Amino acid sequence: MGKPVAYAVVAIVALSAVPFVAPRSEYAIEVLFLIFLYGAMATAWNLLGGFAGQVSFGHAAFLGIGAYATTIMIANGVSLWVAVPVSALLAGLYSLVIGIPAFRLRGPYFSIATIGIGEATRLIALNWTSLTGGASGLTLAGAPPLVQQYFAALALLVAAVGLAAWIRSSRFGYALAAVRQDTDAAETLGVATTVTKTQALFLSACILGVAGSVYALHYLFISPDSVFGFSTSISLVIMPIIGGLGTVTGPLIGAVVYTFIREQFAATLANVDLLAFGVLLIAIVVFEPRGILGIADRVRGMRRARPPAGADA
Amino acid sequence: MAGLYAAMSYGLALIYGVLKIINLANAGFLMLGAYVTWWLFTSYHIHPLLAPLLIVPAFFLFGWALERTLVRRVLSAEPIISLLLLFGVWLVLQNLAYVIWTGDTRSIETPFVEATVNAGGLQLAVPRLYVFAMGALVLIALQLFLTRTYLGRAIRATAQDRDAARLVGVDVDRVMGIAFGIGIALAGFGGSLLSLLFSFTPDFGRALSLKSFCIVVLGGLDSIVGVAFGSLALALAEAFGVRYMPASLQNLISFVVLVVVLIALPRGIVGTVRALRRG
Repeated sequence: MGKPVAYAVVAIVALSAVPFVAPRSEYAIEVLFLIFLYGAMATAWNLLGGFAGQVSFGHAAFLGIGAYATTIMIANGVSLWVAVPVSALLAGLYSLVIGIPAFRLRGPYFSIATIGIGEATRLIALNWTSLTGGASGLTLAGAPPLVQQYFAALALLVAAVGLAAWIRSSRFGYALAAVRQDTDAAETLGVATTVTKTQALFLSACILGVAGSVYALHYLFISPDSVFGFSTSISLVIMPIIGGLGTVTGPLIGAVVYTFIREQFAATLANVDLLAFGVLLIAIVVFEPRGILGIADRVRGMRRARPPAGADA
Repeated sequence: MAGLYAAMSYGLALIYGVLKIINLANAGFLMLGAYVTWWLFTSYHIHPLLAPLLIVPAFFLFGWALERTLVRRVLSAEPIISLLLLFGVWLVLQNLAYVIWTGDTRSIETPFVEATVNAGGLQLAVPRLYVFAMGALVLIALQLFLTRTYLGRAIRATAQDRDAARLVGVDVDRVMGIAFGIGIALAGFGGSLLSLLFSFTPDFGRALSLKSFCIVVLGGLDSIVGVAFGSLALALAEAFGVRYMPASLQNLISFVVLVVVLIALPRGIVGTVRALRRG
């Protein structure tokens, strides 16, 4: 336990120093900001999708609710300190509204229902014009300075990863793992599976709600197709799988890979990035379902298996 | 509408029945079927009605190869893994279509597409009648194939009990490859039919795919006749629903039906019936 915490502290200190050491490199700060934001979102998805094994294709709904709630409240003069927690809470409440019926479904059925939930939420946002502005979206007037956003996203990421790490080694985390491995067996052993899953979904949705606030304040423009879009839900599924499903650091690694691939292709053709993610997803699922962390494990295993060749082996 | 819904859902039901996996890539193959029809028509002037003659065998081979190379590897894993694999396949197909054909909306325009017939005072669009007839025809052909041929019976045996089928000498691996191929070919055929009625983009199929899941769940996940009834039920629900709500929310109907059915019968209709039978 001590070692990972030490690494995390070093990483946080190093990342906090970046804006002061290199205040002019706006692009680097922007990319790091995106990695933090996506990393937090992927970690949130992973609480439910990875830890509890309930793959959701509709998680954009919570990001969207957070983003819309924040935008609407700030446009009406509500303080940021009130708007962000309320956004998180609204996303969390929405997750309860959805989760209680949806968790009557198992495994793949749940996943399919979430496609419908995501799509229905987008359609509602699109048609509730008086509140959401419909297809033309909503805009905010002014953004906080990029450095403030940078630290907000970093704080969100640290909170999300910290929560994930704590859950993983807690009784709650073991209950989630039991649900993932065998829901019936978990139920028999006295795990209240539906309550456990709903709690994971609630936490996941709250984090995504805050991520939605950060998103809205960064881009200053939101529309149903951006925050509620299916591609947002897709990215939330892809990142943890690339990195390592159900692990603490996996979603973070996935977010780094995701952001870099996206930035690479952003200048060229649209949709090539999603094509690349599709290929990557297939390759990972077929050859190493544990993602990049699984590959790293294998490499380490091979090294250990080899007879020591030199002094440092 | 019902014939169309049925045509696009048979493949889903067949694949679920035999392989016990949910083909999330179904929407991708529907879209691909529509695009290939359009491409054959604009580039080679092949009449859209003849396109299925090429699409069905080509999609069958593609599906068969896909099962052999990728799907087979994840069959024994948790169900969520195969779902994610086919989700990846869908992503690849969809974005490949964006790269090749761009996101522009396409449609097929021939005299046939705009023709109507007058039947007892009702103006009926010929393509709609044609699609409905095709949906019914495929249903009959599939039902005959599944009940009257050795291969069809082998497919049904594998769907019922894989191990028992293996015991009585069915080459289960081969049957699963063929069933997946047929499922994909049916999706391609459905897509080809769809292209006669609607304009489409690479994103085409997501809303329809949800309808397919809805139908398959309504009708029972592995029953071909059930799919036909499910299609009819959904088409009727939509036709009546539209009178009471704005048309832009029409896609919500299938979602509501899906959720209600899934929640009322969490194991799907077939699972519930089986559970009742076992008592």
